[in-house]
Amino acid sequence: MKKWLIRSLGLVACLLGFLGVMLPNHTAQAAEKTYQIGTDVTYPPFEFANDQNKYVGIDIDIMNAVAKEEGFKVNIKPLGFNAAVQALEASQIDGVIAGMTITPARQAKFDFGTPYYKTGVVMAVKKDSNIKGFSQLKGKKVALKTGTAAATYANSIKDKYGFQTVTFDDSNNMYEDVTTGNSVACFEDQPVMQYGVAQGLDLKIVTKPANNGNYGFAVQKGKNKALLAKFNAGFKKIKANGTYDKIVQKYLGTSSTTSSASTKKNPKVADKTFTIGTDVTFPPFEFANDQNQYVGIDIDLLNAIAENQGFKVDVKPLGFNAAVQALDSGQIDGVIAGMSITNERKAKFDFSSPYFQSGVVMAVAKDSKVTKLTQLKGKKVAVKTGTAGADYANSIKAKYGFKTVTFDDSNNMYQDVETGNSVACFEDSPVMRYGIQQGTKLKIVTGPAEKGDYGFAVKKGVNADLLAAFNTGLANLKANGQYDKITAKYLGKDEQSATAKAKPAATQDTENRSFVGLIKQNKGALWDGFKETIWLTIVSIFFATIFGIVVGLLGAAPSKFGKGVSSTLIYIFRGMPLLVLALFIYTGIPSLTGSKIPAFIAGVVTLTLNEGAYTAAFVKGGIEAVDSGQMEAARSLGLPYGKSMRKVILPQGIRIMIPSFINQFIITLKDTSILSIIGLLELTQTGKIIIARNLEGFKVWTIVAFIYLAVITLLTWLSNWVQRRMDA
Amino acid sequence: MTSKIKVQDLKKNYGENHVLKGIDLDVQNNEVVVIIGPSGSGKSTLLRCLNRLEAPSSGSIVVDDVDISDPKADINKVRQNIGMVFQHFNLFNNLSVSENITLAPIELKGETKEQAQTQAKKLLETVGLADKFDAKVQSLSGGQQQRVAIARALAMNPDVMLFDEPTSALDPEMVGDVLGVMKDLAKQGMTMVVVTHEMGFAKEVADRVIFVDDGKILEQGKPDAIFSNPQNPRLQDFLNKVLNV
Repeated sequence: MKKWLIRSLGLVACLLGFLGVMLPNHTAQAAEKTYQIGTDVTYPPFEFANDQNKYVGIDIDIMNAVAKEEGFKVNIKPLGFNAAVQALEASQIDGVIAGMTITPARQAKFDFGTPYYKTGVVMAVKKDSNIKGFSQLKGKKVALKTGTAAATYANSIKDKYGFQTVTFDDSNNMYEDVTTGNSVACFEDQPVMQYGVAQGLDLKIVTKPANNGNYGFAVQKGKNKALLAKFNAGFKKIKANGTYDKIVQKYLGTSSTTSSASTKKNPKVADKTFTIGTDVTFPPFEFANDQNQYVGIDIDLLNAIAENQGFKVDVKPLGFNAAVQALDSGQIDGVIAGMSITNERKAKFDFSSPYFQSGVVMAVAKDSKVTKLTQLKGKKVAVKTGTAGADYANSIKAKYGFKTVTFDDSNNMYQDVETGNSVACFEDSPVMRYGIQQGTKLKIVTGPAEKGDYGFAVKKGVNADLLAAFNTGLANLKANGQYDKITAKYLGKDEQSATAKAKPAATQDTENRSFVGLIKQNKGALWDGFKETIWLTIVSIFFATIFGIVVGLLGAAPSKFGKGVSSTLIYIFRGMPLLVLALFIYTGIPSLTGSKIPAFIAGVVTLTLNEGAYTAAFVKGGIEAVDSGQMEAARSLGLPYGKSMRKVILPQGIRIMIPSFINQFIITLKDTSILSIIGLLELTQTGKIIIARNLEGFKVWTIVAFIYLAVITLLTWLSNWVQRRMDA
Repeated sequence: MTSKIKVQDLKKNYGENHVLKGIDLDVQNNEVVVIIGPSGSGKSTLLRCLNRLEAPSSGSIVVDDVDISDPKADINKVRQNIGMVFQHFNLFNNLSVSENITLAPIELKGETKEQAQTQAKKLLETVGLADKFDAKVQSLSGGQQQRVAIARALAMNPDVMLFDEPTSALDPEMVGDVLGVMKDLAKQGMTMVVVTHEMGFAKEVADRVIFVDDGKILEQGKPDAIFSNPQNPRLQDFLNKVLNV
C-alpha cells in the first residue's frame, strides 16, 4: 500500500517536472517577437499544403503579406481548426487565421480583426425545376438546416417572399426533401452546396451568394491588442495596394460558371449499368463521408465519366484486395481504387489511360527524428498489402535493412506508426497527405519515389467498351475542367474551385468526437451494420445447423461410405481458415464457374460450411457419446435404425450437444466479422469505414466491441435459460 | 419337435481373431438352453449372432424358417419375435419405466398408448414391480432395472428369449429376484437361450447345457450329465474352478 503510494507520488512528481521543463519553453518562444499563428490543417483555398508540402492559401498569404507590411515575423502552425482555437484560448499561440467566421459566440472569447473574406448563402432547387428566384417561392415550402447562417437568412426573408420553411437536422435530409419534391428549394452556404452538387445531388444552384458572414483574424480577448492593431493596419495597406486582390485572385481566379458536362452519350455503353469495385478506405480516392456516402477522387471521377458517357455505375466498396480478386474472377466489371498501373497487373487487367500520377512517400510520427531511409536499419516499417508503397518498401528493405509489418487497412498502418510499433510507413503521396490533413499524427519526410500512374482497370480482354468510354470520358473531363475541379476538391491543388472544400472541412473539425457524439453521428450506419451482422448470423446459423446435423448423422451412421463422406467434409471445411474459405468462395468459385455470387450469399455459404463442419463434428461426437448398448437394445426389439436414432439416441445425444450448439452460435456471430473481407457491410466493416473517415480508431472499435459483447451477453443468457430448462 | 433355431457351421472372426470356429446348434420349441464356458470363449458372441447383433462371417442361422445370415432377410421383423436381455440392462435413459416397455409395441405393432400401457402394467406385475410404472430409470436398483428390461423384451410377445449374462452386473442380493423371473418364464414354456455363470440356475432350469470353449462346442447334454459326469477335460477343469470356490 505504502509502496504504491510512493510510486504514484513519484510519477506525479516526474510529470510535474516534465511540465516544468516544457512550459518555460513556450514563454521563451513567445518572447522572441515572432508571433505564433495557428491555422487549420486543410481548408482550401484558405490553407493547405501544396505539392511541395509547403503551406499556402489565402489565409497564409494574407498573414505573410500583413507581417511583411508591418515588419513583424510570424510562425504559422497548421494545428487544425479546433486545436488552434483551443491553443489560442490557452495562450499557447498569439493568433488564429483559419477561415473562421466571426460570430457573437466567438466574439465573447476572442477579439477579431477587420473582416477579410465574405461567405454567402445560395438557394438550390431540383435540377429540372423552373424556379430561378425568390419571387417564385410564394406559398411553397423551403428546406433548411438548423443553426446555419443560411437558415437565419431564409427566415429573415420568408415573410417578404411568402414561403414556409421546414427544418432539418442534417444537410442530407434537407437535400432529400428537395429532391423528393416535398420542398421546392433549400438554402445553404455556397461552398457546402457546391460540394453537395459535385457529389451528385440532383440539385442546381440558382441564386448568387447573399452576403451573410465574414472571416476574421482572431486574438485572445483583451490580450495582444498590439498584434490586432498591426494586423488591421497591415490589412488596410494590402487592400489599398492591391496585394489582397492579387492573393484572392491567385486562389479563386475568375469564378467560372458550373457548366454541365457535354452530354453526348457513348452509344456502346449508354444506359448500361456496370458494377465497379473500389477500396473501402483510401482517402482521398474513396471513403465514406460524414453522411456515410461514398465520395473521393475515384468515385467523383467515375460518376462524372459515367454521366459524361451516359452509362450507370454501381460502386461497391469491397476493399482493395477483394475488388482486385472480384475483377479477376469476373464478379465485377471494373476496379477504380487508386490502383497503380504495374506490369504485373497489366498481365491480368486492361488499364485505362492514367488518371492520376502518384508517388510513394515515407511518413514517420510527428515527433520522430527519422528523416532518411538510412535511419531505418533494424527498425520495423508498416505497409499496406498490395499497395505500391508496400512494393517499394519491399524492394529496398534488404538494402536499408528494415523489417516490414503488413496491414490490410491504411488506418491500422498509420496507427502502428503513431503508437511507435513501427518507425515509419510507406504510402502513396496523395493518400498520406490527405491522412495528415485529416489529423493523422504523422509527417512526410521524403520526396515522392517510384512515381506511378493510377489507372482504371477491367479484366483483360473483357469490357473493352467500358474502358474506351472511360478514356473518352476522362479526356472530356480534362478538357472541360471538371477533372481539375474534382482533384482540387480533395487535394486543393487547383485554385479554381477549392472553395468547395472549405466548409465541409470546418464541419468535420467541429464534429463531436466524444463517445456519445460518435454514436449519435453514426447510429444509422452502426444500426445498419448491426442488422446485417444479426441477419448474417441468423441465416448462417440456420443453414449451418442443418448442414451440421446432416453431416454429423451421416458420420455416426453404420455405413462406411457415409462415415467417409462425413469425415471428408469435416476435414476440409473445419481445416480451412474461414478467411481463406470466404475468399475462395467469393472469388474462386466464380472463376471456376463463370457465374457471379452476391457477397451476402457467399458469406452465408462460407459460414454454413465452416460452422457446419464444427457442428457436424460435435453432433457426431454427441451421438457417439451415447452408450452403444442403447442402440443395441432398441435394435434388438426390432426397431429400425432411424426410429432407434430418433426415439432413443438423439434425445440423449442432443442433451450432450446443447452446450456445443450454444458455443457455436456465439462463434458464428463473431465470425461474421471476418466476412468484412469480401466487402459485406456488417458491423466490423461499418466500423472500418467510420474510422476511415474520422480516424477515431480507439473509440469506434470500443463502441463496436460493446455492441458485439451486448449481443453475446443476450445470447449467453438465452442459452443458460434453455440449458436450465433441459436439465429440469 | 421342431427346431426354433438352427445354427450350422457358424463362424465369426474379427480380422485375424477367430472367435467362433464352426458352431452347430439346434434349439427346439419350449427348450431352455444354457450356455456355459470361460470368459472369452465366444459364448456371448454366439448369442448375439442369434439375432444378428453380430453379423456371422460364415455359416447359416435359421430362426423360424428365416435365414437371418442372409443380408436380405428382414431382420427387424425377425427381431420382434426374439427378446433379448443384456448384462448391463440397457434401459432407455431418456424414457420412464412404462415408456421403456411401451415404445416398441406402439412403434412396431401399432398398439394404442392405452393398450400398450395396460400390457405394461401386467408385465410389471409379473416381474414384481407394479409400483414402478412411472418411475425414472435412474431411480431403480440394478435388479429392478434388469426386471424392467425383461418386461420390455416380453412386451413384444416373443417366442424366444436370449439372456446375455443377465445377473453378472448385479449385487448378489439382487440376483435371486432376476433368476426367479427367469424360472417363471421357463415354467411357462418360453424358449430360452441363456448365457450365464449361475450353475445353480443351469442345474435346476436347463433342458440342455452347452459348454463352449475356444469358439467351439466341446460338450453338451442334460444338466445332470454335464455337472455329475463331465467327459471333456476342459469342462472338468472349468467346473472344478467354478464350483469349488
